[in-house]
Amino acid sequence: MNRKLDLLQGTLDLLILRTLLPGPAHGHAIAKHIQRTSEELLQVETGSLYPALHRLEANGWVEANWDVSDKGKRARYYKLTREGRKQLSSERSKWDAFARAMGLILATNERP
Amino acid sequence: MNTNLRKLLWLFERRRREGELADELAFHLAEETKERGYDAARRELGNVALIKEDTRAMWGWAWIEQLLQDVRYAARTMRKNPAFTVLATLSLALGIGANTAIYSFMDAVIVRWLPVRDPRSLALLQWHSKSRTEESVVQGVSGHFDDDPKLGRVGGIFPYPAFEELRKSTKVFSALFVYHPSRKLTVMIGGEAEVAGGEYVSGDYFRGLGVTPEAGRLIVAEDDRVGTDVVVLSSGFALRRFGDVARAPGQKIYLNNLPFRVAGVTPPGFYGVDSGSAPEFYLPLHADMSLEPRDGGTLAQGRYLDRQYYWMEMMGRLRPGVTIKEAQGQLAPLFENWVASTAENDAQRSDLPKFLLSEGARGGDRMRRNYEEPLVTLMIMVALILAIACANIANLLLARSTARRREIAVRLSIGARRGRVIRQLLTESVLLASMGGAAGVLVAYWSVPLLRAMLASGTSFVMRAELNWHVLAATGVLTIITGVLFGLAPALQATRVDVMPVLKESRTAEPRVRRLPVSLSQTLIIAQIAISLVLVAAAGLFVRTLSKLQSLDVGFTRDNVLVFKLNAKQAGHRRGELPSFYREIQHRLSAIPGVISVAEADSPLIGDGAWGWAVVPVGKPKPEHAPTGHGSFGGWENTHVLQADSHFFSTMKIPLIAGRGFDERDRVGSTPVAIVNEAWVKANLAGRNPVGDHVVNFGMDDKPVEMEVVGVAKNAMYNRIEENFPATVYLPLDQNLGAPADEMTFLLRTAGDPLKYARSVREIVHDADVRVPVTDLASQEQRIEQHIGDEILFARLSAGFAMLALSIACVGLYGTMSYMVARRTGEIGIRMALGVPRGRVVWMILRQVAILAAVGLAIGLPMAYAASRLVGSLLFGIKPGDPASIVIAVATMLIAVIAAAYAPAYRASRIDPLIALRSE
Repeated sequence: MNRKLDLLQGTLDLLILRTLLPGPAHGHAIAKHIQRTSEELLQVETGSLYPALHRLEANGWVEANWDVSDKGKRARYYKLTREGRKQLSSERSKWDAFARAMGLILATNERP
Repeated sequence: MNTNLRKLLWLFERRRREGELADELAFHLAEETKERGYDAARRELGNVALIKEDTRAMWGWAWIEQLLQDVRYAARTMRKNPAFTVLATLSLALGIGANTAIYSFMDAVIVRWLPVRDPRSLALLQWHSKSRTEESVVQGVSGHFDDDPKLGRVGGIFPYPAFEELRKSTKVFSALFVYHPSRKLTVMIGGEAEVAGGEYVSGDYFRGLGVTPEAGRLIVAEDDRVGTDVVVLSSGFALRRFGDVARAPGQKIYLNNLPFRVAGVTPPGFYGVDSGSAPEFYLPLHADMSLEPRDGGTLAQGRYLDRQYYWMEMMGRLRPGVTIKEAQGQLAPLFENWVASTAENDAQRSDLPKFLLSEGARGGDRMRRNYEEPLVTLMIMVALILAIACANIANLLLARSTARRREIAVRLSIGARRGRVIRQLLTESVLLASMGGAAGVLVAYWSVPLLRAMLASGTSFVMRAELNWHVLAATGVLTIITGVLFGLAPALQATRVDVMPVLKESRTAEPRVRRLPVSLSQTLIIAQIAISLVLVAAAGLFVRTLSKLQSLDVGFTRDNVLVFKLNAKQAGHRRGELPSFYREIQHRLSAIPGVISVAEADSPLIGDGAWGWAVVPVGKPKPEHAPTGHGSFGGWENTHVLQADSHFFSTMKIPLIAGRGFDERDRVGSTPVAIVNEAWVKANLAGRNPVGDHVVNFGMDDKPVEMEVVGVAKNAMYNRIEENFPATVYLPLDQNLGAPADEMTFLLRTAGDPLKYARSVREIVHDADVRVPVTDLASQEQRIEQHIGDEILFARLSAGFAMLALSIACVGLYGTMSYMVARRTGEIGIRMALGVPRGRVVWMILRQVAILAAVGLAIGLPMAYAASRLVGSLLFGIKPGDPASIVIAVATMLIAVIAAAYAPAYRASRIDPLIALRSE
């Protein structure tokens, strides 16, 4: 049984930004974190992850630095910038509004 | 940092980022492998190349890659059409090159700032008054004013007391300084004499301009006193005379035989405050008291005190925060009150000079006023040439885009957006323009020094035109505009296709000819013909102006005369010994084999200004405002005066029509005599024969002397070449009736080329006295050519530009017609198969061109006429709408157009009907 969900368009950026909120992480860790936290419901394709990370970097929402990982290897760590935080909160409120709207419509029993 | 900027920075470290991305993905793979094993990890990762490609797209280089792709494609297309590419590049190179060259002169004359510290806070002091009022507080003048259409008479010269008055106001300027050009002084360094011009400057000049010395020190306020011996050299002069600027400070040099000590040297780029001047040295203001003790009739002390003698140019540096407008507001009442106090009567009070402060960043404006109009005219001409070249290429592109309809239809049909295709086509045209622009810079690189040299021989101004970054940036912008300009219309037209019919056409078939009254291509040809007509007509006017000037009767014979000047007074001779010194030289010169006669005069005839003062028949009053002194005053009826010896009339071949010439009788002590010319007789005696009459000579210092008129000479030009001969009175040199002739002009009539005798002349003068340099040595013809040098250059340039425009337009016409004939091969074949004779085919093609030409000329004629009125002030001896010039221009255009179209028409008539029909 395939329990995995496809990501909605535009939500990957939000997921990445949220994942980076507690602190810097490298690409692999971000993917794993999203997978784990969503109880394996969401799987981030590598093919979308890295373009998304570089796009966020180009927009100035995250910064990238090479650092030594806890296993002693050099990895590219992404860190949320101040602008990234702002972006996260605005994306997040957009998402909340959207989810609420969806919920309202799906829950209603009224006839049109 | 914004996104685009960040992406741009990444562009420069592209290689590093590529590596980083590979490392990053490798790390990911390694992590994944640890968790799930290599195969699963590899599977999960998927297509690495694709990930890289997608990620790279996020770096924002897609558009650059597309651009490179477009450029590569464009380069391929250009290589496939070498003839088109070469032709287009060449015509663009000429067009852009001419624009760059002329713009570099515009930049030097009109745009560029002075090379000093913070030029924007400099302000130029001037005044303006109603034009041409006879009575004015401006009684004496040494310098220039200009006539401005709006302001009237504009002057940048002031009396010295005005400077002292304005200097009191210290709130506006942090420095206020005056300066005026020196006469040509005899400079003697280490036994070698030469004549050079410099600038007298007040103590704050260098401090105010913010110039730092290249060596030694510059002039400071303490140097400016009577009897000073401080001189500062320009770096060019120091380099030339001492080999090294560092060696100049401390050296002793002689100016007009007075000792001076070099204090320092100005930096290499510095040329004073007038972009057209080139002072070789700078002297403290009051050094002129000893170097130029008198200026015409005025004594040096007198000029510094005289409140109606205008001669000092003035400039100031504004205090920080003070605007030109505020400064004008503060200074205007100060100056105007002062000037009002100098007025002596009501007439003078009625037209007092008004103060005028303007920005001084570009220095004095004499050269601007002189050259703005000719330069703008030339700039318009070269812009029109470029327009013709653009129309040309647009037309060729149009023709080609018809041939590329299929290619474009295919691209559109498989999903290319129209904008994308237009971008591709524009890339091609901008690339073409860039090649043209690069070649154009080469053209300019060669032509600017050539133009500068041509100008240098004709004017006293120094042109500092060069291809600096300023000019090159303008060329770059122009190139891109050009590319878009000639590429846009064809690109729009090419992409406006109905895809299906085009794709259904067979490869060789004729595209259906659209039936519009006038096609874009025909419009372009008409425009080219009209513009060319304007340029050819303008060139005709300037060439005719030049030929009028060159063929004008100057009243004396210009060939086989050598002219030069000596100033023994400046070299240290006392005034009393001058006549015998000059007489001795004259003797030795006459002994040169081949020299027919040698004359002396106190001024050359053309190009050196003239002497002038009132000379009137006995009993008539002295004219109120007769110009007195030496200068270039206008008005033929104002009396011009020349002191000459007994050989003068025969040497210059000026015929005497009545009476006698000067001879040994006319010495000091004998009856003062004069010879007048016809123009003087006309102005003063209404044409009556004056021989034997007595006239009053008021002289420079207004001491009337009665003279007897002994002869009447035919008219001759003096001072400059203009339409009317000036009224002239000749005085015998030996009788000392005019200003003391310190400087003598020698005129040698020679057998054959006068310049061959230059060496003998120099040797003789050198032998007579080493300290006396020979100056302004030239043939009389050269002097005249130099005098009309601007007109010569202008006529040559405009003729060259017109020819260029015409040939570019003809090449374009030829190309378009050839293409059209090729396209109609089948149709013409059918016509000929049906029996149309060859002659009719030629006519058929030519008729089309003739109609276009007729329309083009009809549009161009009024344009040419209007344009000729705009350049009216640059013409001499002909009226703006000169019919001859316009008729010649029209005829030239018709011949050129028919010539360009004849070859394709002839080729059309040679089409073999059988071959043409078979290829269908």
